[in-house]
Formats: sequence, C-alpha cells, structure tokens
Amino acid sequence: MSLWFALSPLIVLTFGGLGLMMADAFSKTRSDLALGSFLTFTSAGLFALALWIMGGVPAAVMLKVAPYIVLDKFTLFFTATICLGGAISSLLAGGYLPEHDIDRGEFYALMILAAIGAVLLAAAGDFLSLFIGLETMSLGVYCMTGFRRTNPRSAEGALKYFLLGSFAAALMLYGGALIYGATGSTSIEGIRTALTSGEFGTLRDPSRLATVVIAMVLVLVGLAFKISAVPFHMWTPDAYQGAPTPATAFMSVVVKAAAVATMMRVLLVAFGDKASSSWSSGWPPVIAGMAVLTMLVANFIALRQENVKRMLAYSSIAHAGYLLVGMVAAWGQGNEIVAGEGRAALLFYMLQYTVTQAGAFGALILCGSKGKEAVTYEDLAGLGRRHPGAALPFALFIISLAGVPPTAGFFGKLYLFRAAVDGGFTWLAIIGLLNSALGAYYYLRVLVFLYMKEPAPGAAQATPMKSGYIYGALAIAAALVLYFGILPGKALEMAASAGKSLGAKIEVREVPTKMPDTATAALP
Amino acid sequence: MSAYAPMFLLFAVGLLLVLAFFVGTSLLGPKNKGAEHQLPFECGSESTGGRHIRLSVKFYLTAILFVVFDIEAVFLYPWGVKFRSLGWSGLVSMLGFLSVLVVGLVYCWKKGALEWEK
Amino acid sequence: MNAIPIPAFLVVAGIIFGIGAFGFLVRRNVLVALMSIELMLNAINLTFVAFNRAYPHNHTGHVFAFFVIAIAAAEAAVGLALVLSFFRLRKTVRSDEGDLLKN
Repeated sequence: MSLWFALSPLIVLTFGGLGLMMADAFSKTRSDLALGSFLTFTSAGLFALALWIMGGVPAAVMLKVAPYIVLDKFTLFFTATICLGGAISSLLAGGYLPEHDIDRGEFYALMILAAIGAVLLAAAGDFLSLFIGLETMSLGVYCMTGFRRTNPRSAEGALKYFLLGSFAAALMLYGGALIYGATGSTSIEGIRTALTSGEFGTLRDPSRLATVVIAMVLVLVGLAFKISAVPFHMWTPDAYQGAPTPATAFMSVVVKAAAVATMMRVLLVAFGDKASSSWSSGWPPVIAGMAVLTMLVANFIALRQENVKRMLAYSSIAHAGYLLVGMVAAWGQGNEIVAGEGRAALLFYMLQYTVTQAGAFGALILCGSKGKEAVTYEDLAGLGRRHPGAALPFALFIISLAGVPPTAGFFGKLYLFRAAVDGGFTWLAIIGLLNSALGAYYYLRVLVFLYMKEPAPGAAQATPMKSGYIYGALAIAAALVLYFGILPGKALEMAASAGKSLGAKIEVREVPTKMPDTATAALP
Repeated sequence: MSAYAPMFLLFAVGLLLVLAFFVGTSLLGPKNKGAEHQLPFECGSESTGGRHIRLSVKFYLTAILFVVFDIEAVFLYPWGVKFRSLGWSGLVSMLGFLSVLVVGLVYCWKKGALEWEK
Repeated sequence: MNAIPIPAFLVVAGIIFGIGAFGFLVRRNVLVALMSIELMLNAINLTFVAFNRAYPHNHTGHVFAFFVIAIAAAEAAVGLALVLSFFRLRKTVRSDEGDLLKN
C-alpha cells in the first residue's frame, strides 16, 4: 500500500478545501459549494472506510509518517466520524446559509480546512502535530462562529471562544514544553517510554516528577476546554448560541470528536503508565470528578433554559460529561478486558452522538425560516400539528439524545454505563443514570411543546423552511440514528477494534531522521 | 537534577513581579490631578480633538496579510540552507507547502483583499 | 563553559508566561488579552529552545519554536479580525461589555 493511499482521507480533504476556495473565488455565479463540500467529506470518509476494510494501514507504511501522524484503526474510526459530522453539517449549511442571507462561499472552505485540523488532531502522535491540528481546527471554527458579521451575538460568541480557546491552547502547549523538558521527548510513544523505563521510569527525582505533574495538569486543562467539560465550559453556550446553526452543529460534533480522540491518546497512551494512571496518584480521579461535575452542572443549567439552541449547547456539555465517564471506563483500572470494553463504549458513544446531535441542530434549522429562526420553546409550540413533517425528525433526535430505545442514544448510554459498572465504577454509572433522567426532563419538554402546546395567540410563529439539502441531511442522520439504535452490533464491533489499536506498538523510529536536523542547521 | 528546582518558583515569581509592577506604577507613576493641569499654560495653542485618530481598516488588512505570508518564510530559510542534502523529497515537500500558500494568495487576490482602492 | 545555565532561561520564560497569563485574566481590553496570549506563546518558545540545550541529540525544541511562531501569526490574524468585527458592531474593545449572551 502506498503512503498516498494511506493518507488519502487527508489528501482528499486538502484538495477539496483548496478546490472550494478556488471555486468560490473564480465562479461568478453561486456555484453549488455545499454539494462540493458534502462530496469531499463523503469521499474522504469512504477512503477511510476503504482503508479499514483492507485491514488498516500496514505497519511499514505507518512508520513512514510516525510518530507525527499515526494511521491506526483508531484514527480511521475518528476520521470517518469526523467526515460524517462534516458531511451532515455541510448539507445543513447548504440549506441554512441561503435562507438567512449569509450565503458566502468561504464557509465551506473553512469547514473543510477545520476538519483537516480535526483529522490531524485525532491522528496526532506527537505534540507538534497535535498542536498544529488543534490550531488549524480551532482557527477555522472561530471564523465560522463569527460568520454572521452583522449579528452582534455572533461576533461576541466568536470573540469569547477565540480568547478562551487561545488561552487554553497556550496552557496546553506550555504543558507540552514542560513534558519535553522532563522526558526529552514530545511524541506520545516517547513520553510513555520515558515515563515507564530507564532513568525516568520511577521519576525518582522529585523536581522532574513535579514537572510532569504540572505538565499533565496543563494538558488536561487544554483538553477539557476543547471537549467543554465543567469548569472549562464557559465559552460553550455563548459560542454555540452566537454561531450560525450549521457551525454549531459542526462544533458540537467534529470538534468534540477530535478532542475526545486526542484525550484518549494522550491520557491512555502517553500518560498510560502505572504511576500516572492510578486512582491514588494519577489522572483518573480528576477525570471522574470532572465527569460528575460536568453532568450535574450542565443538566441543572439546561433545565432553566428558555432558548432551545442554548439548551442543546448545555446538552452538549452534559454529553461531554458522559464521555468523561467513558474515559474513566476506558482506563478500567488497568485491566485490559474492562478497558477494551470501555474504549469500545466510548467510541460508539461518540459515533452515535455525532449523528444525533448534528441531526438535532438540523431539525432546529428546519423548524425556522427566513426572518424567524426557531430559537425558543415557544417557537416550537404546536408545530407537531401545524407541520408534522418538521416536528417528526426533531422528536426522533430528541428522544435519541434522551437515550430512549429504539434509537442510537439508548445503546450509547447502555454500553457506556455497563462498561463503567464492569470497570468497578458503579457509583459513576448511577450518577450518570440519574443525570440521564434529569436530562430526559428538558428533552421531553421539547416534545411537549411540539405536540401538546398551542402557540400563544398573536405570537409570531416560526414556519419550517424548505430545502432539499436540509431534508437530505436529516434523512442521513435519522437513518443512522435508527440503524445504530436497532442494529448497533456492527458499529460496536468496529469501535472495539478501533479501541484495541490505540497505543498498540508499531516499531517507532528513534528520532525523525532528516527533517529536524536540517531544519535547525540554519541556526547559528 | 536539582537544576530544575528553580522552575517551580516560576509561577510565584511571575505573580510577584506583576504585582510589583502594579504597586510600583501606582506609587511612582504620574498622578492625574485633573484637567486643569493638562492644559498648556501661557504657551502653545489650545489643543483640539481627541487623541484617537481612526485609521482606515485597509491598513489592518494589508498588514495582517503581510504578516501571515511573511512568517511562512520562516520555513524557507532552513530548507534553503540544507537544500542540497534534502534533495528531491525536500523540493517536492516545499513545493507542496508553497502551492498551498499560493492558493491562499490567489484567493485573497480574487476576493479583492489586495486592492487599495475598491 | 561560562554559558548561562538552562534554569535561568526557564525562570525567565516562566515569568513571562506568568505575566501573560496574569494579564489575560486581569485586563478587560481584548487587545491587551491578545497581546498577553502572544506573550505566553513566546514564553513557550523560550522554554522549548532552552530545554533543547538539555537534549542536544536532536532539534525538537527548535522545530517547535518555528511552528509556534507561524501559528502565533495565524492566531493574531484571526484574533484581530474577530476583534474588529466585534468593534464594528459594539463600538467597544472591552470584554466585559460583551454581555448579550447570557443564561
């Protein structure tokens, strides 16, 4: 297998993104950029699937780009997830942007370029590529958040997101610098080797140990920020509410997927040694505490929301809490079987969350039209009777978010909490279940408004928009939600196999041979 | 490796230093004693207008485009120094990198970001 | 052998990073916040390059510094654009006056 084929998802995305930029710049008429963007994402996702079906990338090919890009099945799984989220979001944008008169072509290019960053982030096996991926993704998403240039809320959300995001990235990078100082390595594998073996193995030297601990805290803060875990979630509701809804959908699924992938790689591989990943002296209790805090805070605040978009933002934070429960299960006290189950559950949860959450935002888009976006619960009142076609998909995604069978969300939560129980974290699973019950309350409130309330007399009513793109996106998302909800076996199997490949030994070269030597020879 | 020990003072030292700056400026810095003291006394002319002049946003756009493309040159220097030993693979990689930049430049151009007068 | 010891650089970098972080958290002017972030990134560069002296067999730290410089430039470009669009709509550069989005 050639390296080009192994890298094909990234290459397809790059050419697609650059191509769309050129198409946007050169075409006089508004060419169908949404479709181009959708096709780019689909073909990149299909390339990832093809690589998967061929049994993954052979080690010899992987070594050519290791440790900067790790092309294991874990990466392929996340590439496919990211491309799925991107494809749905670009169709949503194709309907939403023209309807609300912000139809400018750069949105699609930004989306694809941000997705390249996300894929790179999920594939990063070195802090260098990790940081480049993180920034590529983030810069694109900041721009997408501020895309409604005449809307003060959009500008404000984007600015807040940018400031806090860059601050968190800088903290994380400082963590990377300290790790480099303590271990002499910036690659995930290299850090693990340094922490487990040789002169650093026991980290006897207290100052070196303290450096690693500080670095780990800084890196954790950066990652928690990106998956929007409490107490680093402040930006999330503002950015989600201010952003145009397709950008919100993109942020809530793609950014989160990439951040979860990095978090797994950094915590389970780089800090996966006995000392750093023990309940008494390592990161697991921190993650578990953060999970509890995230679920509780997000669900309680979501209860009080009157704005559905903001409610969905808090729901996305709550889901970050469930994902962190999965993170603890994926650690599984170092027991490999339990950890394997936990990883599979976490990856499956991420996959089902991608289609469900993107679908929910899509349904929200569908319920509004030019001049009157559906934003509050009141806007949705009576929609089930007036426009059953628009209310039905919304209802489906909402019950999947709540975790009711026969939808994807049910199996996501089932596997996740079962893995937590098997890992010996019954208390965490119980807190998670109680929170799901809490979450069901505000999700069901949407259904109540859709089907049981009538709009207040004289209130401006939101009418559903008409767009083939939105219908297409919702059809794809709904089909997958039902598919994962009825036949989750295949996807779970893939998640398990992807989880297994994470951190598996490929013979990593000592040091990248040519590039760094020559790159710095210019220095005096 | 006690050589690393000073590092753990750094947050504390950083914080102290900043606090010292704040306290220092409030003690040593000029105090504003009211608008009367700012007026020229028996010399010069009465000042008019505010301190802030609005600069056209065109300056910002041009400057930022310059910075972005300028910084990318940082990757060209090391490549140029080791041009021969990097050989064809280095050349191809650098061409790939530059062609991405060229796409960005063409985009700016076509979008009219390089025009001073619209 | 009269070279300045590595910890000296690290302490300077740490102080600069601290000033940056402090400035970011305390100042309410978004332009100052942007400058603080740049300060933090430069402190990181210094840390990387200083640590590289402890590991002279490769140049990882130096390479990092190059990439951080490039990324900082891109970040500044995007950040200034966002500040500009905020200023156009709100006529202010103070972050505490951005209060349209609330619970």
